Amino acid sequence: MSTAGGRLKAKRGETLTGWAFAAPFAVLFGLFLVVPAVYGLYLSFTGETLTGAGSGLVGLSNYADALRDPDMWKSLGNTLWFTLLSTVPLVVLSLALALLVNLGLPGRWLWRLSFFLPYLLASTVVVMFWSWMYNPTLGLINGVLAKFGGAPVAWLQDPKVAMLSVVITTLWWTIGFNFLLYLAALQNIPEQQFEAAAIDGAGKWRQLFSIVIPQLTPTTVLILMLQILASLKVFDQIYMLTNGGPGGKTRSIVQYIYESGFTGYRFGYSSAISYLFFALIVLVSLAQYKLINRRSAA
Amino acid sequence: MSDLSRRGLLKTAAALAGGGLLVGCAPGASRSATDLSYWHLMTGSDGAVMAGLVDAVNAANLGFRATQTVLAWGPPYYTKLAMASAGGRAPDVAIMHASRIAGYAPGGLLEPWDLDLLAEVGLHESDFPARVWEKCQYDGKPYAIALDTHPFVLYYNTEHARKAGVTDALRTMKSPEEFTEVATKLQQVTGKHGLSYGYLGDGSQMWRLFYTLYRQTGADMKLVPGQKAEVDEDAAVKTLKFIRSLLNDKIASRSGDGGTATAEFLHGESGMFFGGVWELPALKDAKLPVDAMPIPTLFGTQAAYADSHTFVLPRQSKVDPERRKHVYRMVAEILKRSVKWADGGHIPAYQPVTKSAEYLALKPQSNYAGIPAYVNYDPDVWFSGAGSDFQNYFSENVQNVFLGSGDPAAGFDGFVARLNKLLDRPQPV
Repeated sequence: MSTAGGRLKAKRGETLTGWAFAAPFAVLFGLFLVVPAVYGLYLSFTGETLTGAGSGLVGLSNYADALRDPDMWKSLGNTLWFTLLSTVPLVVLSLALALLVNLGLPGRWLWRLSFFLPYLLASTVVVMFWSWMYNPTLGLINGVLAKFGGAPVAWLQDPKVAMLSVVITTLWWTIGFNFLLYLAALQNIPEQQFEAAAIDGAGKWRQLFSIVIPQLTPTTVLILMLQILASLKVFDQIYMLTNGGPGGKTRSIVQYIYESGFTGYRFGYSSAISYLFFALIVLVSLAQYKLINRRSAA
Repeated sequence: MSDLSRRGLLKTAAALAGGGLLVGCAPGASRSATDLSYWHLMTGSDGAVMAGLVDAVNAANLGFRATQTVLAWGPPYYTKLAMASAGGRAPDVAIMHASRIAGYAPGGLLEPWDLDLLAEVGLHESDFPARVWEKCQYDGKPYAIALDTHPFVLYYNTEHARKAGVTDALRTMKSPEEFTEVATKLQQVTGKHGLSYGYLGDGSQMWRLFYTLYRQTGADMKLVPGQKAEVDEDAAVKTLKFIRSLLNDKIASRSGDGGTATAEFLHGESGMFFGGVWELPALKDAKLPVDAMPIPTLFGTQAAYADSHTFVLPRQSKVDPERRKHVYRMVAEILKRSVKWADGGHIPAYQPVTKSAEYLALKPQSNYAGIPAYVNYDPDVWFSGAGSDFQNYFSENVQNVFLGSGDPAAGFDGFVARLNKLLDRPQPV
């Protein structure tokens, strides 16, 4: 009995120590995340503005307005379009790059470094030099195009290509992270499996589809999840590259939330859109979770 | 929140840094009555001149010391100023574009200046151009004291003009056709473009030229919350068509952005340049044979787009009367020294300065000194003004027209539809 009690006491002590270690984080988490999030939820039911001119509860009318707001839908559509355009290559290309590097090319460290390096740069730096490259008259890309007789393209100003340009920048900037995850996973596949497959007469392609890709499934699932969430929350590079233009064609939902609240002064309304977007993200995450669970159960 | 994404991390870090900065910048209650906090958005050469003025005033030992806080132009500045005022912990005095007063005064984010206290430091209504003084009023009270007027003007390369034989024509042209002719002649001299105008991805630039020419047709733009926008569509279409006719890759580049246009003009690859007066220091530094003049009246009515930097009193929950008195003194002292401010290209608002021999001798600044008499500011409404979303909405709808792929009427209609949507909403200030 006494030993059990002692263990319990010791356990309680451990728990306290645990809490003490967690406390600094918990306090910051509460102060800067939970409190603002709850306050934001409250704001979404009010007409609160920057100056307090329209305070007071307004029920669900902000939500109703948001659902009727064509600009909200347009920026949501842009965000989903960006997510689709960016997620697919960010998964497929990062895998391809990882496979290439894993082939054992000479100067492997250089490849690894050059694919990963952009990821370490701040978004402002990335945007700065891509803006120059995209410059319609002085930019490198149009310069190269001109060498081959191509007509200049207004990369960031032409509504037809602006989103693509943003995606290319994002790809160049962020692919390194996925690439590294894939590379690590690739290096974890036991060599014996390939040897066994080779003995059984499987060629390189057969090995790729029967060993490598199935073995990488957990990594692919992880990358896909992180990527979709990151792409949905896109803001900084678009805001700096195009400011949502041309014609609002690249305005993301996060930018619309920012504009409604901070430059349009309507805190209540922008909180409501935030919560609608939050609900969407939760739905997407749940759907992914269900899908993964079904896969691993099967 | 288990997925700690890179962007999430960036944003949190930025938010924390921003929060810290805000707390750091907020004037604490413990500050002495002689220590004035002054926020502004002047960077580059303007920033250097402003710092010089503040130093000069501080050095005069008038019983106070002003500390300047410089923030980035546009939404970052205005958002921070608005939030500091909304929280009642604003700086003692700040710079604001005259075009933003309509968005700040009604919400109680600003406090009016006291005419009696102004008179005590030697500032009177008669010291300012009537239209500039007028723009600084809201509800019959002066909410801002103007430092300058900074219009959109026409620069030209005197060397190229002489070679093209258009030196006189530049001064006398008064129709779109004459302007086109001058630009074409200059193009023949430079071999590249006749005119440089950067607008791509920059709503302010598009708006400045459009509004100058639109107002020259005699058309007005009235925006009253709760009512439909009052605009003149025919005038707008005429203006847009003319601008588009210039952007034909011959007279001017169809896809010029700000940096490219300035670089082109600086390298002598064009004869004329549409730009703000604030571009002047860079052009002078380049030792270019350059002159400047108001944008000529091409559509019958004299008009110029401009804005003004003004001094405002952001709302503080607790005002120290002594410090407030010092602020009046500081503003008066800066205005009296504002001939220095004209170095940056701006037209000082304080009339004793603009009438002084020292200012009149400044070239090409004094060439356009008459603009304040017929200046046109942005329409008075809470969402318009320098660095506001208003100019973004203009660019969203009109950039394609400038690029040559959009219909002028449809572009302008899109802009007006956007304005009507904003006018229809409850006013947040």
